[in-house]
Amino acid sequence: MFGKIAPTCLHTNLCLCVVRAMGPDSAPDPTVPWRKVLWERQPFPDNYVDQRFLEELRRNEGLRHYHYWAVVKEAGFVGQQLSCVAIFITLWLYMEQGLLTPEMLLVTSLTCAVLGYGLHQALTSQVESGCEPRTHLADLQSATIFLSFTFGFSPVLKTLTESVSTDTVYAMSALMLLAHLVSFPYAQPSPPGSLSLNAALFASVCLASRLPGALHTFAMLSCALLVFALWPCLLQRLRDKAPSHFTGVCVGMCIGGVGGLSSQSFGGAVLLALALGSVTFLCPLLLVRLQRHKDNIQGPWDEAEIHEDLIHFLQ
Amino acid sequence: MVLKIFFPQCCNRADSGLLIGRWITGQDSAIVLAVIHYPFIPGQVKQYIQQMQAQSGVELSVLGSWSLPKDGQDEMENFLKDLSTIFPQERWLQISRQMGKTGFTCEVLCRSQRGAAAPQKVSEKKDGEKHEEEKVIFVHYDQMKVMLSQLHPVENGVPDPKTDPPSELRQVFQTVASSRPLFFLDRYDDGPLKTTHWQSEGREASIIVELLKQASVPLCLLLRWLLALWAWLCNARVFSLFPLRVVGSKMSTCVQLSYRTEHMRTLSSAAPAAGHDQFMRKANILVSFLVDTALGWLLIWWLYRDDHITMLAHTLMPAADHVAKELQELLQWLMGAPAGLKMNRALDQVLGRFFLYHIHLWISYIHLMSPFVEGILWYGGLSASLGLTFALSLFSDMVALLTFHIYCFYVYGARLYCLKIYGLSSLWRLFRGKKWNVLRQRVDSCSYDLDQLFIGTLLFTILLFLLPTTALYYLVFTLLRLGVVLFQGVLHLSVDFINSFPLFAVSLRVCRSYRLAEGVKFRVLCEEPGTALHLLMEINPLPCGSVVQTYRTPTYSCYPKDSWAALVKKLFVGELIYPWRRKTSKTD
Repeated sequence: MFGKIAPTCLHTNLCLCVVRAMGPDSAPDPTVPWRKVLWERQPFPDNYVDQRFLEELRRNEGLRHYHYWAVVKEAGFVGQQLSCVAIFITLWLYMEQGLLTPEMLLVTSLTCAVLGYGLHQALTSQVESGCEPRTHLADLQSATIFLSFTFGFSPVLKTLTESVSTDTVYAMSALMLLAHLVSFPYAQPSPPGSLSLNAALFASVCLASRLPGALHTFAMLSCALLVFALWPCLLQRLRDKAPSHFTGVCVGMCIGGVGGLSSQSFGGAVLLALALGSVTFLCPLLLVRLQRHKDNIQGPWDEAEIHEDLIHFLQ
Repeated sequence: MVLKIFFPQCCNRADSGLLIGRWITGQDSAIVLAVIHYPFIPGQVKQYIQQMQAQSGVELSVLGSWSLPKDGQDEMENFLKDLSTIFPQERWLQISRQMGKTGFTCEVLCRSQRGAAAPQKVSEKKDGEKHEEEKVIFVHYDQMKVMLSQLHPVENGVPDPKTDPPSELRQVFQTVASSRPLFFLDRYDDGPLKTTHWQSEGREASIIVELLKQASVPLCLLLRWLLALWAWLCNARVFSLFPLRVVGSKMSTCVQLSYRTEHMRTLSSAAPAAGHDQFMRKANILVSFLVDTALGWLLIWWLYRDDHITMLAHTLMPAADHVAKELQELLQWLMGAPAGLKMNRALDQVLGRFFLYHIHLWISYIHLMSPFVEGILWYGGLSASLGLTFALSLFSDMVALLTFHIYCFYVYGARLYCLKIYGLSSLWRLFRGKKWNVLRQRVDSCSYDLDQLFIGTLLFTILLFLLPTTALYYLVFTLLRLGVVLFQGVLHLSVDFINSFPLFAVSLRVCRSYRLAEGVKFRVLCEEPGTALHLLMEINPLPCGSVVQTYRTPTYSCYPKDSWAALVKKLFVGELIYPWRRKTSKTD
C-alpha cells in the first residue's frame, strides 16, 4: 500500500505450510524450482534458501567519494566558528582589562552591523528567494528590540552574578560556549539553532556581567549578538552566493582569531592554531583516508524501506 | 437432621404450660418466647396469640408443651398429648424437665405419625436404639439481652424477598426484638392467662422516661421555631453580599455555627427516629451537644472567675508584638547573608525592605487595636456558652487574624516563586528550541525568531540567577505559614473530634456491651451422654474501633483531603495551600 516493500518481509516464519519432519538442510526435490514466496505451498521448509541467496548482496550503496580540498573547504566553516568564539573571548579580555572602551566597541559593532546588513541586502537582491523576504521595517524593529532590551537590562545583568564566584562564572561560560560549538548547525546556519544561540548568549551574559560597568555589559552583549546571531547568517548567504569569497573570509577569520588571541596569551593562540589545523586539515584527511576501509553490506535481510514519498497521500 | 430450640433462660424454672414461639422457616429451628401456664382456656390462648401477632408482626404459634413436674403432679402425659390435638401444628414439641436435673428431655411429634402410632420418641435416654430420630440442641439465650441488642452490620430497609433470606441468627434476633408486646403482660396482672417470660424489673424509672418524652415535644417545637427564626436571619439579603459570604465560608466559627444548626435541625424533628441508625445518630448528636455545652460552661466558669480574661488580654498583645519583632529580626537576617548563602544583593534588599514595611504596618495596626482587645475577648468568651467547640473555633479565627501578616508574606513569596518556576520551565523549553503544545499535551520542537530567542535567553538568565533569593524567602515564609496551619489544624481537629465522636454509642458499648452485638458465641452448658446438648448463647460485643467507625457523625474531616505527595508537590511548585480546603457538599 505504501509503495514498494522489499520482499524480505515475506521471509518471516509464518507457519502456513504443513509442519514437516525434515530439517531445513534436508535435500529438496530437484524437479520443482524453489520460489521465494510464502503464499504458495512448496516442498521446502519455510527457512529454505537456495544458492542464489547471496546474489542480492550489495556493498557500500550510495557511497560518495570525497575530494580532500572540498572537504577542507567545508571544514573551514567549523574552524571559522571556532575562531569566532576566540575573537569574542579576546574582545572580552580587552574589555575587562580596560584596553578597549565600550564606546569604541559599540561604534565598531555598529559600523560592522551596517556594513554587514548592506552586504546581506546586496547578496539577497540578486535572486528572489522562495519565501517572503523580511522588510526593512521588520529588521529595524528587531534591531530596536535588541538594543532597547539589552540597554534596559544591562544594569540588572551587571549585578546578576555579583554573589556568584568568578570561577563558577568562568566554568559556566566555558561549558556554554562548548555547547554552542557542539550544537551549532554547521550545514544550515541561517536560522540559527535555538540551543547553540541560547548557549552562546547565556555565556556572553555570564561573561558580560563580570565587566566593570553597565555600558560595558551593553556593548559586550551587542557584540555577542553580532558575532553569534548575525554573522552566521551573513556567512551562510556568502557561502551560497559567492563561494570563492567565502573561502577567503574563512581564512581571514581564522587568522584574525589566532592573531587576536596571541596578543593576549601566546599559549592560547598556539592551542587555537593547533585546533584549527586539526579541524580543517587533519580531520578531512582522516575522513578521506578511512573511507577506503568502509565496507557496508546491504541485502534482502535488511528491514523494509518505504521508498515512495508519503506527501501525496496526505493531501 | 438437627433440631435447634432457642430457649429463654428465664423460662428454665417456669411452671408447666404451653410453649409460645415461632418456627423459623427454612431453618430447622424454633424460638421459644414464653410459657403460658395452666390453667387456661384454649380459645383465650388462641385469641391472645392472634392479638400478639397483630401487634408484633411475628408469626407466633403454640410450639408445644413444657412440663416441670412438681410434687404431686405426675400423670400428665396423656393430657399433654391431648393438647397437641387442640393446637394443631406440623410438629409438636414436648419438653420436660425433672426437678434436680439439668438436662431437658424433648419429644417431637409429627402430625402424620400422631394419629397412627406411638409418637416418635426422641428421649435421650433411648438414644442409641433409634436410627431416624432427630437430634435436639437446646440453645439457651438471655431474652432481655437479645431483645435489646442490635446485630451488626445493621440492615436497613425492607429486605428484598428475591435475595437470600436473612441468616438464622439474624431471624432469631429480629423475632425476639419484635415480639416486645408479648412481654408486656406482667406477673402481677390479673388476667385470664398467666405467662412466664422476661419481665422488666420495675416501671418506676419508665415514668421518668415518659415524663421526659412528654416534655420533649414542646421543647422540640420551641427549638424548631428558633431554628426557623435563625434560618430567616441567615437568608437575609445582607449576608448574601459578596464579601460577607466569602468571609462566612472561611471563618471556622461560622462553619461551626452551620454544623450546629444542622445538628439542631436533626434533633428537633418531631417524628420519632425511624430506625436504629437514625436513633443512634440523634442520640449521639444529643449527647455530644450536651457534653460540648457542659465543657463550654466549665470554660466560662474558669475564664470569668478571677479575671482571667484581662490576664489573657494583657499577655496577648505583647505576644503579638513579640512575634512581629522576631519577624523583623528574621528579615534582617535574611537581608544579610543568611547561613552563608550568596544571594542577589539588590533583589534581597528590595524584598527585605518590602516585608519590613509590611511588618511596620502590622505593628501600627496592632497598636491601634490594643485598647479594644480586652472587650473583644470578654464578648468572645461568652461564645463558649454555646459550647467548647465555639470557643475553640473562635480562638482559631483569632489566631488566623493575628497571624495575617504571616499569611500575606506567604502569599507574596509563593506568588513570586510560582511565577519564577513557571517562567523558568517555559523558558527552559525555549532554551532547547522546544515549546509546549497545548492541543496535543506534549513538548514539540519549534523554530523561534531571532529576537524571541534573544529576549527569552536574557530573561532565562535573569530568572535563573534570581531564583535562589526568591526560593529562600519562599522557604522561610512557607515554614512560618506551615507552623500556623499546623496549630490551626490541631484546633480544627479537636473541634471536629467533639462534633463527630459517637459518645452515646461508645458509652453504650462500655456500660451495656450487649446492646451493640457483632455476633454470638456458644458455650457448652452440659453435655452428658444421656441428654441433649445444651448451649449457652452469649453476645459478642462490637469492638470499640468499629463502634466509632460506624456511628461517627459525618463531618468534613471524614473525607480525604490532599495526599501528602500532592501537598509536597504543591509546596514545590509554589501553589497556595489552605487549611480550610474542605468539601462543601456533604453527601452520604
